[in-house]
Amino acid sequence: MQSSYVKRHAPFWLSLAAGIVVWEIAGRSTSAAFMVPFSTTLVRLWQLVTTWQFIAQFLDSARLFLTGFFLALAVGMPLGLLLARARVLRVGIEPYIMTLYATPMVALIPFILSMMGFGFAPKVLVVFLFAVFPVLYNTVEGARSIKPEMIEVARSFRSGEWALWREVMLPYTLPYTMTGVRQAIGRALVGMIAAEFFLSSTGLGQLIMSASQNFDTGGVFASILIIGLIGVGLMRLGLKIEQHFARWRQ
Amino acid sequence: MADSAISVSAPVTPTGASPALSGRLFETFVPQLTAGLAILLTWEFVVRAFAPPYVAKPTSVIMAIPHVIVDPAFLTATGATLSAVAEGLAIALVFGVLMGRSQTFERAIRHYVNGFYAVPMIVVLPLFSLWFGYSPATRIATIVFAAIFSIIINVADGARSVPREYLEVARSFRSRRLSVLIGIVLPASMPYLLAGFRLAAGRALIGAVVAEFFLSIGGLGYYILYNSRSYHHNEAFVGVLLLAAFGVGFELLVNWCTRHFMPWYRRDKD
Repeated sequence: MQSSYVKRHAPFWLSLAAGIVVWEIAGRSTSAAFMVPFSTTLVRLWQLVTTWQFIAQFLDSARLFLTGFFLALAVGMPLGLLLARARVLRVGIEPYIMTLYATPMVALIPFILSMMGFGFAPKVLVVFLFAVFPVLYNTVEGARSIKPEMIEVARSFRSGEWALWREVMLPYTLPYTMTGVRQAIGRALVGMIAAEFFLSSTGLGQLIMSASQNFDTGGVFASILIIGLIGVGLMRLGLKIEQHFARWRQ
Repeated sequence: MADSAISVSAPVTPTGASPALSGRLFETFVPQLTAGLAILLTWEFVVRAFAPPYVAKPTSVIMAIPHVIVDPAFLTATGATLSAVAEGLAIALVFGVLMGRSQTFERAIRHYVNGFYAVPMIVVLPLFSLWFGYSPATRIATIVFAAIFSIIINVADGARSVPREYLEVARSFRSRRLSVLIGIVLPASMPYLLAGFRLAAGRALIGAVVAEFFLSIGGLGYYILYNSRSYHHNEAFVGVLLLAAFGVGFELLVNWCTRHFMPWYRRDKD
């Protein structure tokens, strides 16, 4: 067991080590304003994360992310399921959802700024707009994957509305919805940083902005590393959620 | 999408149309039109009733379209953004395909590719602006960063998806390298490349707009930023419409190519 773990994960640790070595050498052979070595970045990272300011910024970002993301779920999932059931409504709204899904939502940030100012609400709106359309789009796509015959068969066996939802609608659309949830996690993170960059500067966005404004290259690298690790962690979580529900999609 | 077939057959008089056709017309086109009108009307009335007069609403955006699309500033901005996106995508495509195709190299960098793909692309902007300055080069770098990883991931997936038996058969018939590449590898991995490109194009567009916001360099993103700061929301919104059109255009183009040139492939993953 021990050796199979080593065998399976050896390439990962090797490439990680190689990357760190390359980073260290590159950092040492260029000017400190351009790039800092891995070791310096780690020192800077430790200095950053052990301040109260960092904890406050982290919690601030987490609050923004979670509020916007769960708001997007709370709106996207019921609306998507409603559209899944009401066929005429779905056919009517589908092209608009698809359009908004493909629209770069960052372009709306200047409007939100000039209409709503610098508070917490406009930032939540940004995260919400980034996250809601993947959920809606994928749920509707799942709804489209239900064959009308399935519903007809269920109907001819006199299944009620509740049974129809439990046995047909939910099992077919939920796996797609979860693909949307995974995409929404990634997009909400981009939305969070974008909101913190371009609306009032707070949270992890502020951490990286202030480092770059002070030409603190080590701080920039350290904060990118922090946000990157959070991104990787959230992406893995999203994949886990998706795979958990994908089991019944075969 | 589905209505493309409708719009072709729309000139046929409804009375002469077959029942199936008019059925489809009423099943898709009418609800879509109704929903679109309902959305626009709601927007119009909500803005008129509750929002300050500078906020964009459908009627004033439509009125703004004629003078915006002949405005040289708008055209220059569109050209700058589009050429940056095209350039960045081209760089990402070339390097992405090279990196994704070479198997040993791809295996060595796979974890980094997956990791960088998960990093929200806009966090690199402060770093890139330290490296390349507040210049169009930073925008290109951001676009490449936004686009390249989804291309590498999908090209590598495509390279793995080539059926091994086909290659063996080709080898036993002593086919040349080039014909294997054109006859087997390319058709098998093309749908993956297209899927990667579709994702990459969307991300590239976001990268360009974000870079223009951040760097204040000329382009569609900056046009939107500038106009909405000076309360010209209607003019700025025309820019948003154009961006949306590009986003949807890429999506439709790639879907159409996949359906038309690769009818054997069914995309159900992202």
